[in-house]
Amino acid sequence: MTENTITRPGVRRIIGVDFDFGALKSAGPRYWAFVSLLITVIGLGVLAWGAALANGGSVMAMRDSYPWGLWFTNYMYYVGLSAGGLVVYASVHLFNAKQFEPLSRLAVLQAGVLVMLALLGIITDMERPWRAVWMLLTPNPSSPFVYTGSAANIYMLICFIDLWILMTGKGGHKLAHRMTLIALPFAIYLHTTTAFVLALNKSRELWNTAVMVPIFLTSATASGIALLLIVAYLMQRFDVMRFKPSMFRSLSTLLSTVIIIDLFLLAVEILTVFWPTAAKPGHALRLAEFFSGPYALAFVPVLVLGIGAFSLLAGSRTRHLPAVQITAAAMYVVAIFLKRYSLMAMGFAIDPLGQYSPPYLPSLTEFLIAAGLLGLGVLIVTLSAKVLPLAVPEHEAHEPAAAEPSLEGPAPANPPALEAG
Amino acid sequence: MSDDTTRPRVEPPRELPAGCTFSRRGFLETVGATAGLFMAGAVPAFVSATAPAIAAEGETDDPLAHITKGDGSINYPGKTVHYADPPGDQKWAMVIDVKACIGCRRCVYACVKENNIGRDAGFTYIKVLEMEQGLVDIEHAKADYAEGGRPDKWYLPVQCMQCAEAPCVYGCPVKATWRDPDGIVVIDYDKCIACRNCMVTCPYGARYFNWLEPHVPEAEVNPEVPLEEKHGVVEKCTFCIQRTRNGQTTACTEACPVGARTFGDLNDPDSAVSTLLKTRRVWRLKEEYGTKPMIWYVG
Repeated sequence: MTENTITRPGVRRIIGVDFDFGALKSAGPRYWAFVSLLITVIGLGVLAWGAALANGGSVMAMRDSYPWGLWFTNYMYYVGLSAGGLVVYASVHLFNAKQFEPLSRLAVLQAGVLVMLALLGIITDMERPWRAVWMLLTPNPSSPFVYTGSAANIYMLICFIDLWILMTGKGGHKLAHRMTLIALPFAIYLHTTTAFVLALNKSRELWNTAVMVPIFLTSATASGIALLLIVAYLMQRFDVMRFKPSMFRSLSTLLSTVIIIDLFLLAVEILTVFWPTAAKPGHALRLAEFFSGPYALAFVPVLVLGIGAFSLLAGSRTRHLPAVQITAAAMYVVAIFLKRYSLMAMGFAIDPLGQYSPPYLPSLTEFLIAAGLLGLGVLIVTLSAKVLPLAVPEHEAHEPAAAEPSLEGPAPANPPALEAG
Repeated sequence: MSDDTTRPRVEPPRELPAGCTFSRRGFLETVGATAGLFMAGAVPAFVSATAPAIAAEGETDDPLAHITKGDGSINYPGKTVHYADPPGDQKWAMVIDVKACIGCRRCVYACVKENNIGRDAGFTYIKVLEMEQGLVDIEHAKADYAEGGRPDKWYLPVQCMQCAEAPCVYGCPVKATWRDPDGIVVIDYDKCIACRNCMVTCPYGARYFNWLEPHVPEAEVNPEVPLEEKHGVVEKCTFCIQRTRNGQTTACTEACPVGARTFGDLNDPDSAVSTLLKTRRVWRLKEEYGTKPMIWYVG
């Protein structure tokens, strides 16, 4: 980094990255209040995990009819969310989308943290986490779990290495470009294999469709871009980074494009399942539950929110307004969660022998574990916003003044008011 | 007359594919070498996979050879689960007479006792489905009916089918479940990581997870079968591996009051199951899934 950073007090260089611990000292009380709230949530999650380890799986709402629960929904969801960030980052290098350059570090950080949460979700679900070592010792090549599990681990490493390369500037543009060539195919591979965990089951008609893979990729990309847009707005609000309005415009255009592809694929699947010459009773019966059964409460909002988000971003007069962009993005982030949840749960609601089970709702323990993990993710990003040099300095950044996050003017009395000096 | 009818029936199929491949080949050459390469790889692979199976069926004297010869072990680690004897050279199979079954669920109770299934576990290895006359409608079958024996219904007992192409074994990420050479699909309770993917992949819903510590009254514990190890792992029907490898029959077969169940060795041409398969019209559940179950239904 620049000499400017090094001379400031509180900055310590560890493995080549300038950690700005001084920023933490000068952080406002509201920042620390937020951090302690997150730590409380994480603490509750740890307690819940302890209870789950002590009492066994019966404290979960999962049963034989629902062998997977909230942890698996979150695995698909987090893995998906991390894609969008990486697509944005990769487009900087692959398609020369310079307008996204200021986002690159934030995007990679988001991708890495989300995959970490996805993996921790699996660990907290296991009653004997140490048995996971068998995944390395005797992996079964015909199980999609082996591929998605290993891909998620390697992808997480790639993301954090990439973040390090971007923050230290080691290897310059050339190395960053090469990392993209590794990271983007890996992101696609990870989401494909995650979709395969559902799609490669002939026992579950609802999932056993090849369109599952492209739907996973588009949902993942759309929700990830939407989340990145929201996080970027937050970072701007709290004066961590500055972005041009044109960057948000490009981001929301990209978002609406992916949303419409996502909705199109969903429509194709619904049409194929219900069309009289194509309808198979097992598949149609299960998909119909999306619209008529209790799961309609989760799935119909997916359609409403999805179409709503697209319409908001399609209106040429309003789509440049930050409020509209944030609303649409938030709608889609929620929609994809509901989609993942209903897809997972509905696949189980009618079991292979036609027995119907009442809807799955996570128990308090499961909810607390999930909330604790989410809190951990938010905490990492909150601390990183202070400590890590997330803003992209120098030439590509639009304003020379925004070269360093800590050189920003005094923040408008907001919790993470960055630095007094 | 008969010659006239057979000739056109036999000859066109012999010539048509040949003509087809030739013209397609010419077409492919113009399309590109990539597609050709794919075909070159895929067609011989398909032919080599199907042709010997068809030939073997016609040539051999044993009418069941296509079942017994083709079905080997999957992911077999060379040792079997600790509480069972090593597998012999049998090929275990079961035939269930659905015309005889009265839905009394005595097989279910016997199985629960024999296999140390937790009394409050909420599952049993065997499910008996009650269905309407005239339909094999699994989607609307009833497993929680109150009383069996209704003349206006028919009953279909379902349990682990010990599939020759077991999706659960293919789905286990750590090879904690495998198929022994005698056809029994077993689970290593000390290795299962509780990912429950096998429960998702099984088309028969025949695998169950111990969400609770399995609770069995002390007097009723079967010392031949593990109990504590089953906490927090997946379990399922093993064709009573602790009995059948010692020359006994399964608990469900023994308990059936109407003799609807027949258990035996398909490698023995004179066993009851072999005779049933050779003399009766039998069917398997969800055969279109290609799982090759080792439980046949008759009736």
